[in-house]
Amino acid sequence: MISIQVKNLSKSFGKTKAVNDVSFDVYKGRIFGLLGPNGAGKTTTIRMINHIIPQDTGEIIINGLQVGPRTQKMIGYMPEERGLYKKMKVGEQLMYLAQLKGLNKTDAKKKIVYWLRRFDAYDWHSKVVGELSKGMSQKIQFIATIVHDPDIYIFDEPFSGLDPINSELLKQIIIELRQNGKTILFSTHRMEQVEQMCDDICLFNNGKVVITGNLRKIKKDFGKNTVLIEFDGDPGFLDELDDVRINNRSTNFAEIRILNGLDHQTILKKAMDKTEINKFQLVEPSLNEIFISTVGEDNIKNKEALLS
Amino acid sequence: MNWKQVLLVLKREYITRVRSKGFIWATILVPVGFVAFFGVMVFVTVWESDVRFEIGIKDETGAIVQPLIELNPARYLDHSALETDSLRTMVQQDAITGFIVIDEENIADDKNLELIYSGSGGMQLLTSIRSDIREVIRQERLRRAEVPQEIQNIYETSISLDSRRLTRAGEETDDDTVFLSIVGMILGIIIFAAIFSYGGYVTRGVIEEKTNRIVEVITSSVKPIELLTGKMAGVGALAITQFGIWIITFFGLTTIAGPVATMLMDQQTAGLGPEAEAAQAELPMLLDLPSLELNLIIYFVIFFILGYLLYSSLFAAIGAASDSDTDVQQLMLPIGSPIFIAYIIMFHTWQSPDSLLSVISSMVPFFSPILMVTRIAITEVPFWQISLSIILIFLTFAGTMWLSAKIYKVGILNYGSTASYKDLLRWVRQS
Repeated sequence: MISIQVKNLSKSFGKTKAVNDVSFDVYKGRIFGLLGPNGAGKTTTIRMINHIIPQDTGEIIINGLQVGPRTQKMIGYMPEERGLYKKMKVGEQLMYLAQLKGLNKTDAKKKIVYWLRRFDAYDWHSKVVGELSKGMSQKIQFIATIVHDPDIYIFDEPFSGLDPINSELLKQIIIELRQNGKTILFSTHRMEQVEQMCDDICLFNNGKVVITGNLRKIKKDFGKNTVLIEFDGDPGFLDELDDVRINNRSTNFAEIRILNGLDHQTILKKAMDKTEINKFQLVEPSLNEIFISTVGEDNIKNKEALLS
Repeated sequence: MNWKQVLLVLKREYITRVRSKGFIWATILVPVGFVAFFGVMVFVTVWESDVRFEIGIKDETGAIVQPLIELNPARYLDHSALETDSLRTMVQQDAITGFIVIDEENIADDKNLELIYSGSGGMQLLTSIRSDIREVIRQERLRRAEVPQEIQNIYETSISLDSRRLTRAGEETDDDTVFLSIVGMILGIIIFAAIFSYGGYVTRGVIEEKTNRIVEVITSSVKPIELLTGKMAGVGALAITQFGIWIITFFGLTTIAGPVATMLMDQQTAGLGPEAEAAQAELPMLLDLPSLELNLIIYFVIFFILGYLLYSSLFAAIGAASDSDTDVQQLMLPIGSPIFIAYIIMFHTWQSPDSLLSVISSMVPFFSPILMVTRIAITEVPFWQISLSIILIFLTFAGTMWLSAKIYKVGILNYGSTASYKDLLRWVRQS
């Protein structure tokens, strides 16, 4: 079943086409990753799905309904720019946000107490948010996002700026939500986070979808054409290889993408001549590699940010 | 628009503000400050300057100097025996402020007198010396002309003008124009100040949500227009609460002030002589200020609310376009100016409430919240003018709200830089 269906979505700001004819489907009960460098149009797409800004053209259908005030209540959204009212008390603030999402007072209260207990945060109930530490207010922000128990959860760059403890906590929340049959969509420019968590992905570049679909399948389709090699000795042989792209290179390690059907045995032979091999493995390409080879190295916006 | 959401926003805005220390202190301190302000104003007007200006009179006729000294013994000195040169020296050494030489020609002919002085004292001093001299010389001329006493009396007459108002209903009432003029000015100043301060609340509220970055969370549940409406209504409700408290306190105090003062007087004068009793008789007159008409208060509230709505919609747009409190200033100018212009015109309206300028500008929507109230307080404003100005404000408000909603919608998600006027125009077009 499809939770979020995005069809031919476009949005321009003045002359810049922030989102250009984008389509993808997010399936119920799965984790969907929206990937791409900064400025690729992820946040704009997410804002349109949340009905914060209107689309120019195209359709967004959420649980069978056109995007609108009703679909807003089905979504829990944590924006990239996170924040709370600094002068409001934790309990009152959560109550306000839950009521805005359509909960009545009694239900909201039960849920707030449950989640505050769950995160060992019940003592902060009457504290003003401004008095909390950064880590504490991040926890309150999670609660604010999930308190109304929606079907769909959208996190925009959720791991940026989180401390390691909260980062781990959020991963657990996301996995737990998935186990409970909820749909999760999150965006990131850090590809490695996606590899660990996502079922499906959509790769963005310059406002357009590059690839979308099941992560396993995408990787499989690319074939096992990447070599991971660990060695001791002179890495100079790497420079002698033709028709390859070396993505992840250090003094004793390299990730080599084979282009144009070069035989991986050739690489092994060359490496054996010069160095002592500790590990040689043929694997599916990383998402980073898939992104680069699909888009073409020269067409990537904000490439530095992507590879960092 | 979903009014349930608007109500939730309104409630939050209202409750968090009304409970804040700032609100409680302002509610207490503003009236105190207001009383103090008017106290100072009255003090300045009433206070006779302590600085004495001594004017030496060298009277060659011998007829003028005595009456002048009688008129103001502290100011005029008889220096008729001194030479002009030594009077000059005295002025230079600051022994006297200045001197005047009076000779026969000044009385017999119309020759102007000359005051030689150090330059201090200002307009007020010159005016009062001029009028003193005129009066004394006129007296002297009358005396010389041997004008009969009756005619001299005619010259001394000074008839004052009492006034009573006749209403359309044929009711004749005491005219309180002076009192009402002051009331009109005070009400105008109150609306002027209120628009700025409550408008400021709205601006700061919008900026707070932007800088806290909560606004994106909120707009994922609430439409920008609902958020904007709720915010304006919440601050408006706050304003009404605050003014309610002040108005009730004001009426409470004025109602009990009379009896309490009389009671105190009674205690003090008990057993004292008839003089004290006479003083007691005067006191109620002092306290018996003309009461404010209910009409005036209703119109004040109406124009206050309309003015607040009109301006706060614009103040919200300013907040949405700014990135921090400090950036507000540059955008404030075009919106602050009409209020200031209205404030300046008010000082004209205060003196001639029925002039063409007053009538027309009191119907300009951006001015009328201040000027119409001032006029209503002072003069009989035709009902059509009041209704027309109310309708015009409403229409303008619809326009500003439309404009503001567009700017607000885009502006609240625009982090990191304050918008230029060009940006604002683009936002209005794009949304």
